[in-house]
Parts: sequence; C-alpha cells; structure tokens
Amino acid sequence: MIKARKCFLMMLLCAAGSLPLLIAPLPAQQPSDRAHQIGGKFMCMCGCNQVLSQCNHVGCTVSTAMLKEVDQGLARGDSEDTITQAFVQEFGTKVYAEPPHSGFSLVAWSMPAVYLALGLVLVLLVINRWRKRPVHAVSSAAAADNSGISAEMLERARMRAARETQD
Amino acid sequence: MDVFGSFALLLSFVCAVYAFVGGIAAIRTRHPLLVKSTRQAGLATCGLIFLATFSLEYLFFSDNFSVAYVVAHSNHSLSPFYKVAALWSGQEGSLLFWSFLLAVYVFSALIAYRNKNGELMPYVGVVLAGVQIFFLTLNNFVASPFKALGVPGVNGAMNLVARGDGNGLNPLLQYPEMVIHPPNLYSGYTGFTIPFAFALGALLARYPGEKWIHLTRKWTMIAWGFQTAGILLGAHWAYAVLGWGGYWAWDPVENASLLPWLTGTAFLHSVMMQEKRGMMKVWNVWLVFSTFLLCILGTFLTRSGVVSSVHAFASSNIGSWFVGFIVVILLVCLAAYFKNRDYLKSENQLDSIVSRESSFLFNNLILLVSCVAVLSGTLFPVFSEWFTGDRISVGTPFFNKVNIPIGLLLLFLTGVGPLLAWRKTSLDSLKRNFGWPLLMGLVAGATAFPLGVRGFYSLICLILCIFVASTITMEFYRGAKVIRARSGASFLASAVDLTMRNTRRYGGYIVHMGMVLIFIGIAGTAFNRDVQKEMQIGSTMQIGPYSLLLQNIDNKQEKNYTAERMVIEVTRDNKPVMMLYPERRIFPANQASGTMVAIYSTLKQDLYVVYAGQSPDTQAPVIHVYLNPLVKCIWFGGVIVVLGTLVALLPNRRAVLVLSAVQEPTRVKSLAGTLTPSPTLREGHD
Repeated sequence: MIKARKCFLMMLLCAAGSLPLLIAPLPAQQPSDRAHQIGGKFMCMCGCNQVLSQCNHVGCTVSTAMLKEVDQGLARGDSEDTITQAFVQEFGTKVYAEPPHSGFSLVAWSMPAVYLALGLVLVLLVINRWRKRPVHAVSSAAAADNSGISAEMLERARMRAARETQD
Repeated sequence: MDVFGSFALLLSFVCAVYAFVGGIAAIRTRHPLLVKSTRQAGLATCGLIFLATFSLEYLFFSDNFSVAYVVAHSNHSLSPFYKVAALWSGQEGSLLFWSFLLAVYVFSALIAYRNKNGELMPYVGVVLAGVQIFFLTLNNFVASPFKALGVPGVNGAMNLVARGDGNGLNPLLQYPEMVIHPPNLYSGYTGFTIPFAFALGALLARYPGEKWIHLTRKWTMIAWGFQTAGILLGAHWAYAVLGWGGYWAWDPVENASLLPWLTGTAFLHSVMMQEKRGMMKVWNVWLVFSTFLLCILGTFLTRSGVVSSVHAFASSNIGSWFVGFIVVILLVCLAAYFKNRDYLKSENQLDSIVSRESSFLFNNLILLVSCVAVLSGTLFPVFSEWFTGDRISVGTPFFNKVNIPIGLLLLFLTGVGPLLAWRKTSLDSLKRNFGWPLLMGLVAGATAFPLGVRGFYSLICLILCIFVASTITMEFYRGAKVIRARSGASFLASAVDLTMRNTRRYGGYIVHMGMVLIFIGIAGTAFNRDVQKEMQIGSTMQIGPYSLLLQNIDNKQEKNYTAERMVIEVTRDNKPVMMLYPERRIFPANQASGTMVAIYSTLKQDLYVVYAGQSPDTQAPVIHVYLNPLVKCIWFGGVIVVLGTLVALLPNRRAVLVLSAVQEPTRVKSLAGTLTPSPTLREGHD
C-alpha cells in the first residue's frame, strides 16, 4: 500500500515537473509552404492590414497562431474550403484577403469586367458615330446640333474667348 | 506666436470670403475697382496663409510646448530637419499644409495672369477662393493647429499649461523621404485645383472649350509631375521603412493617391484630341472635374475612417465636411455644365478606327476602368457591410488580379498610340512602325521563356516592355537621323535637338520610357524570394547567390533614439560584397519602435535585409531577407518620368534657331528645303 502510494506520489511529482514543459512555448515551428500558400488568401487579424503569409511582425502571435491553424487543418486532411470556413467562423468575413467568388462578393469580381465591357461598347459606339459624320457637316453640326445657341453665337463666343485670353 | 498664427488664419478666412463674394459681385457688375480689390484679397489670403504656416513652423523650432499640436508631434531632441516635416505629421498641420500649397498655386496663378485674361480671371478667382474657404474653414473652426494645450480645471474651464517636452514625431515619419514625399503628393493634389478652377471658370464664363485647355496645360502637367513623384516617393518610403519587402500594398491611402493620378493621366492624353481636332470638350471638362473631386474624395477616405488603413487618421470626425464639400462641388459642376453645355460642342469626326484619336479613346477607357476598379475595390468593404451586414476585406490579391491585365493593356497602348497618325493610319505605316518592335518583343519573349520567365503575365509584360521601348527608340532614331543628315551633328546632339524642337511630344516619349522601366520593375515582383531565420553571432544564412554572416550586434545612441544594430557581412562566391546594418530604433519620447532596412541594391536585384526583432522564444535576433529582382528599375523609371515631364514643360525650340547658324548665301536654296518641315518633324505632331 505504501509502495503504491509512493509510486502515485512519484508520478504526481513527475507530472508536476513536466508541467512547465507543457506551458513553456515549444520551439517555433515554421509553417509549411502549403500553409503559406493558403495564408496568402487571408488577412492577418492583428490589425496590420497585411496578408497573413506576409505579416512580418516578429512575435505576432496572431499570424503565428493562424498559420499554425492552417497547418493543423492540413494535417487533419481538411480541404482549403474547410479551413476557409473555419477562419470565417472565427474571424468573420473580414478575414478574406480577397472577396470570395460567391454571393455578394461576385459583385466585386464582376464590376471591373462590367466597367470594361460597358466602356468598350461605349467607345465603339462613339467611334462608329464619329466615323459616320461627314467632314463638311462637322463644324455646322457641332454648332447647330439641336442646341439652344446658334452657330453664330458659338463663333462669337469663341472669338470673345480668343480676344479675352492669352496663353 | 500661436496667437499671431491663429489670427493670420482667421484673417485669411475673411479675405477668402471677400475674394469669393466680391468676386461674384465683380463678375456681375464688372466694376474695375471691385475686380482689382477681389484679386488683391485673393493675394492677401495667400500671404496670410504663408504667415500662419511659418508661425506654426516657428512654434516647432522654438519648442513651444504650450501648443497642443507641437506637443503631439515634436520634442526637444527632434532634429530641425524633421521639425519641418512635423508640420504635416498630424491632421491639423497637414490641413494647414494643404492650404499653404494651395495658396502657393493660387498666388502663382494670380500673379502669372495679373495683366492677362481680364474677363476669365474673376471667374477663376471665385472658384479658387471657394476652395480656399473650405480648407480655411477646417483650419480655423474644425481642426486648428494653434490650439493651446489645456487641462480641465475644477470649475470646468480649461487651464492653459505648457509641457516640458513633447511626445515626439511618429518614428515612421523620421525618415528623409518623409520630408519630401508628402509635399510632393500634396502639391499634386492641390495642383489639380488650378485646371479645375480654369475649367469651371471658363464654363461659367461661357467660353468654348479651347482656351482653358491652353491656359492650364502646364499647370496640369506640374500637378501630375508632383503627383507622380509623390506616389513613387511614398512607394520608396514604404519599401525602405515599413520592412515588409514590398512597395505597394493597395492600402486605401495609396489607392486614394492613385485615383486622381489615373484620371489626370487620362486628361493629359485626351486634351490633345481637343487641341488638335477640337474633339472631346465635354469629356475633358468632366475629366478635370473628376480629377479634382477624386483628390477631395481621397482625402475624405483617408481622414474619415470609412475604410481602414494603416496610414489613415481613422479617429477623425472630419469626414462629413469633405462629403459636404464634394456634394457642393458636384452640384456646382453639374449646374454649370447643364447651363452652358452648348458652348462645349465638339467637332467630333473620325476618319478611321486605326488612328491616334481611337487610341486616345481606348487609352482613356483603360485608365478610367482602372480608376473605377480601384475605387470600387477600395470601397467594397463599405458596400458589403451596407448590403450584407458583413465587412468583406479587399486586399492586395484582388487589386493585383484586377489591375495587372488592365496595366498590360495600357502598356500595349503606350507603344501603339503615339505611332498612329491623326485621322488615319495606313497599313504600310503600321508595318513600318510596328514590324521591328513587335519582332523584338517576340524575340525577347522567346529568349526569356527558356531562361525561366514562365509566368503568363511576366512574359507578356516583358514582351510588351521591349515592344514599347523599341517603338520609342525607333521614333527618336528616325527623327535624329533626319536632323543629323541635315546638320551633320552627332547622333546624340541630333536627338537632343529633336527633343527640344517638340518638347511636348518627345518629353511624352521619355515619360513613356520611364513607365516601361516601372513596368519592368513591377514584373520582377513575380520572382521575389524571402527567407527568415533566427540567427546567433557567427551564424550564416543563404539566399540566392548571397551568403549573410551575422558578425556582431551593437547598440547605437542617437539624440532622438537608440538603435539595436545588426552587423551583417554579405558575401558572394566567398568574396565580400559589403556590410549591411539593419536596425531597430526605439524612440524614448513616445516609446515607439521603428525598423531601418538595409538594402544592397544592384540593377539586377535588391538584397533587402530586415532586423525583424527578437524571437519571443529564444531572444535570438530574427533576420528576414528578401531578394527582390529589378526593383531599381522602378525608382530609375520614376526619375525618368519626372525628367520627361520637365522636358515636356519646356518651350519648343524653333527650327529656325538651327537654321540661323547657316549663313552662306549660296546655300539659300538648300535652306529653303530645310525650312519645310518634314512629316516626321512637323511642329505640333504630338
């Protein structure tokens, strides 16, 4: 009985002795390349406004923990989507480094293409319209194109501007 | 001195109000004395703003720690160099600095046109005074830099106090570039006020669109040049100080500076359509209006806290003032446009889609798409929060994906546009102008591919850069060859002569060449590498061809900070290259720390070494090393862009100056031949 108690105490002592080892930080592990790659899709949540894999603050506990979380997810066999969902659950949508390709965020992705397409159509229409204009009609059309002022008035204004200004 | 400065500011506000109200009355009554007195009031406004600004600087230099702004941004040991920069290091001071730079422009414009354009200038003066009133309202009543330091007393009243020392300047700003970057950027922002005032003034005065364009071209180029220099200096500051290995992070503050630059660039191109062909008058007016509005919008974004930025004055409540100002300006512009749009009728006519005119239209389209894409990306977090309740971040990856293709399209047009003829370009001309450059671009691409340049965008960028550089070089070559054949001068002298004969055109080419270099530098980002390692004295690390040995760690004591410095020997193939000293600085005044990066820069690549701090686990220094190829091209390209802008600002040297050297009467006949401008060299072929 006494021997059993001694064994128990010894085990307790060993456990207590090893406790600091558990609490003390383990040597820093470098995140894997894959974690770095996935980390490029998130923002570091320490407030530095940097992409997670580019956060360069030594001792930034947030980026270290986030990259570790990515590595742990990869070790569990989680897909990139699962890891992303876990981060969104934890930090909200502000964790994205770029808007996701779904839902309202599609607006962000599609807008530049829409601007370009609309602008292109507009430019082509303008070019087409200008090309159809005969040269001789231009000056008179410019002035009398169903506007409130006549060609003479415009010419007078032009002459006045030339008279009143010097380069 | 704070009372003097405060009074000068208040008086300048009164003068600006008089210049505005009196200006309107002068326009209506056309009374010469009223016109003169409002102009004098405009000049007095500027003079008083100068006095107020110098007063604040005096308070910094005299260490007057009874003024809250001086306490917040300076201390005894701050070097005089940075006491100058302390002026714009906080919100109140930077708004005063804005007013100061605006006053410099306004003063210059009022003096430059004091005996000219008598009918137009009152309109311009009213617009300028209106803008000044807004900023002086902020300076006087919202964010005064002359507020005395006070503590609440027992009875609730403020008791004035003076501190023994100030908090010191933000460490990130204690870097030489921070003394020149904000003035450049702000000069760009404020400079666009002049073309805006002339455009709006000309519209209000019912001038058809040509005149204000001629009057403001140089002002626009000056503002654009400053804006370009400011953006690049900011990028260099971010690269050398922030220590993350890059120079552009698409931060809202950076984006805010880019937006007016993009529309300003579009304007500088489309304005040529108006000058040469009388086209796009409405478009140009709105481009100038938009550029000015984007300058104000950018300021709103960075000061309101609407978007989060590492540079922003997020806690400020000044945003609503800017929103109000933007709304007022927009309403005035719309009203002026709808009332007088008939005077902007354009003579739009196009002979062919393959022409200079079309290329300018596409150039404007691409620049505007880029501007709107950057703006919508910057504001998307706000929109997403409005519509979905969740704030979705938009970071670097998004902006890169969207803007790289746009940038490449723009680069392509940079090569194509200038070589297309006005009205119509023939197939023969296309072959002659683009055959060789295209071939050279493709050969460069074919050579680079086996050498490891495999990224799609990098490869396309390289091909386009060589293509554009070749087209520009060939343009200089062809022109210089003609002059050389006639004058017998050296090729270089002929090229210089060519440039000076049409500074605007060839200055523009120089700017384009600078942009090519900047694109080459940006393309290098695809090949960046980095390594981070905990190091002990004597340990080494390797990156690319370089080996880094940590020789020692020492401490440096300066007047305003202490620094822990790494002494690193860089070797290549066992041969010493140089010593690098990355350091971390601690500023006791505000207990802040800052990084000082060490860079070994060559034309090929930058070895960029950061002492990132001590490992929390082992207390060993952590060294982060980046190998960034071609970064120098960006800075070099920036210098060339600014030089090109300066060249474009010079007046043309007339061809007759060259001819005057030839005096023999027997050669009159040959001289007559030279007097006829060749198609290549004809004046005004921009």
